[in-house]
Amino acid sequence: MGRSGVYLLGSLVSGVATVLALPLLCILRLARFWANWHRERASRLLGAASASRPVRRATGRRAWAGPVTVRTSRALLWLPVNAMTGVVFGLPALLCVGNVVLAVIATPLWWAFGLEDRPRLFIDVPVTGWATALTLGPLQILLLTALAYVAFPPLARAHARICLAVLSDSTEEQLAERVAVLTRTRADVLDAHGAELRRIERDLHDGTQARLVAIAMRLAVARQAFSDNPRDERLVEELLRDAHEGTEEAMTELRGVIRSVYPPILADRGLDGALTAVTTGCGVPTRLDVGDLDRVPPAVEAVVYFAVAETLTNVTRHSRATAAGVRVSRTADRLSVLVTDNGTGGADDRRGTGIAGIRRRVLALDGTLEVDSPAGGPTAITVELPCGW
Amino acid sequence: MRVVIAEDNVLLSTGLELLLGRAGFQIVAIADDAVGFLAAVRQHRPDVTIVDVRLPPSFRDEGIRAALQARREHPGLPVLVLSQYVEQQYAAELLSSTGGGVGYLLKDRVSRVDEFVDALRRVAAGGTAMDPDVIAQLVQRAGDPIAALTPREHEVLALMAQGHDNNAIAAQLVITDNGVHKHIGNIFAKLGLAVTDSGHRRVLAVLAYLNAARAT
Repeated sequence: MGRSGVYLLGSLVSGVATVLALPLLCILRLARFWANWHRERASRLLGAASASRPVRRATGRRAWAGPVTVRTSRALLWLPVNAMTGVVFGLPALLCVGNVVLAVIATPLWWAFGLEDRPRLFIDVPVTGWATALTLGPLQILLLTALAYVAFPPLARAHARICLAVLSDSTEEQLAERVAVLTRTRADVLDAHGAELRRIERDLHDGTQARLVAIAMRLAVARQAFSDNPRDERLVEELLRDAHEGTEEAMTELRGVIRSVYPPILADRGLDGALTAVTTGCGVPTRLDVGDLDRVPPAVEAVVYFAVAETLTNVTRHSRATAAGVRVSRTADRLSVLVTDNGTGGADDRRGTGIAGIRRRVLALDGTLEVDSPAGGPTAITVELPCGW
Repeated sequence: MRVVIAEDNVLLSTGLELLLGRAGFQIVAIADDAVGFLAAVRQHRPDVTIVDVRLPPSFRDEGIRAALQARREHPGLPVLVLSQYVEQQYAAELLSSTGGGVGYLLKDRVSRVDEFVDALRRVAAGGTAMDPDVIAQLVQRAGDPIAALTPREHEVLALMAQGHDNNAIAAQLVITDNGVHKHIGNIFAKLGLAVTDSGHRRVLAVLAYLNAARAT
């Protein structure tokens, strides 16, 4: 009741303030701010999820675009509606509260007022003696408090609903917004996917394939030199050695390319096992905490593995940390990865510490990456990926 | 025979140097990009050039463009383009640049030293060396009229399109020169082509036919 009362009285004040400050609220930015404030307030009262993310309620998912502000047209519509509803809903509350206060004062202190100005209870009954004061006073307090108890919450909720109805986007607008976000992220995903394919093609073309051709050339010359008469043993041996070393290098490179596409340990052991392997292999003692992950899409697993492996490489190389931690947890539709270390901090995208690469792969899956790494440390890197398909 | 090479991958350029050196070629310059290649061609006036399709900085088709540019600057300059994958479009562009030998081969062919050296000599002499895969792609897409050819005529057509002369075709298929001559006559008749003299022009006629057949 208290909360509803405060809300209703606040609405009255804001309704009156809207009328008084009307010229000022014609500044669109202020109007939007004013509307946003009301929306937050209304949704807090209704206990709904933050109204700044209406999409969440529509789809059960977070809007990746971040807070959605009120449309200007709706903010302007809210001005007259606010003035009206504020007064209509707030005035009864004020009367109710005011009369309780009056009774509280009148009951013990009725005699202190002049004969002509005796306070009146039940609107029109003047208090002229203790008998009236001690019967009507408490009765008025009791009745009005009961009224407030019963009527304030539904009144306040009705006001909040009107507010949200005016200020929230319609389902259609929410869907349009969601489509816009999805269209953009989908284009990003396709770009990132294309870039990834080009990288793999380039790695195979310039690396492994070129090495194989070089090996074939050396073997071909070695075969020729072998049947030369007289045979140049030293040349043949040199060519064979080159070719042998070349095959080893080609295998190493191929392994690197394969690992960058889909780490084999993930295929063998799953995400949990792969993370165990990467944390035990880390140069800095690392605590691993993997929650119940359920089934995670392979693309998400690969990015998580890549992000953790890359981040721990950074920790070992740059942070001078003595301890690190990896925590992976899952909500219905999100997978969160938190990598922390107690090192010297200062990690960011620009210093070529591999964070840019992680960000690229995370964004490709419509996820988010946050780096909190003040100079002096500690560092916390959070990756969140949607995985509720 | 003096050769200029455009190849940015050191492994491959040293391999080529080794292989061609033993075969009696003289490598006068190895450029690692298009600009260096054009400069080297201007300076050395080589007898034949070998160009990798992908060169720095963007590693797309700089090699093809450099080869075409070099042929514009030096009409008749023989160019053998090496690639790690077959793209019929590149072959068509090279063939349409007039005069002088052209070749377009998969890098894999390099390790068949004799065939590669043979192809390089053919290009240097103003002939053609088309990769069997390019020809196979073209033949495969050529459709109906090609289907009328006998299997043997198919083989002859493919070898002819790769740039081999009658003697080489006879040797590869183990038949007589006369036999080759007869097959070629049949092929040209079935495809409705005018019989041209052997060599580059014949190859061009066949390739042009295959290209056109593909387009319809």
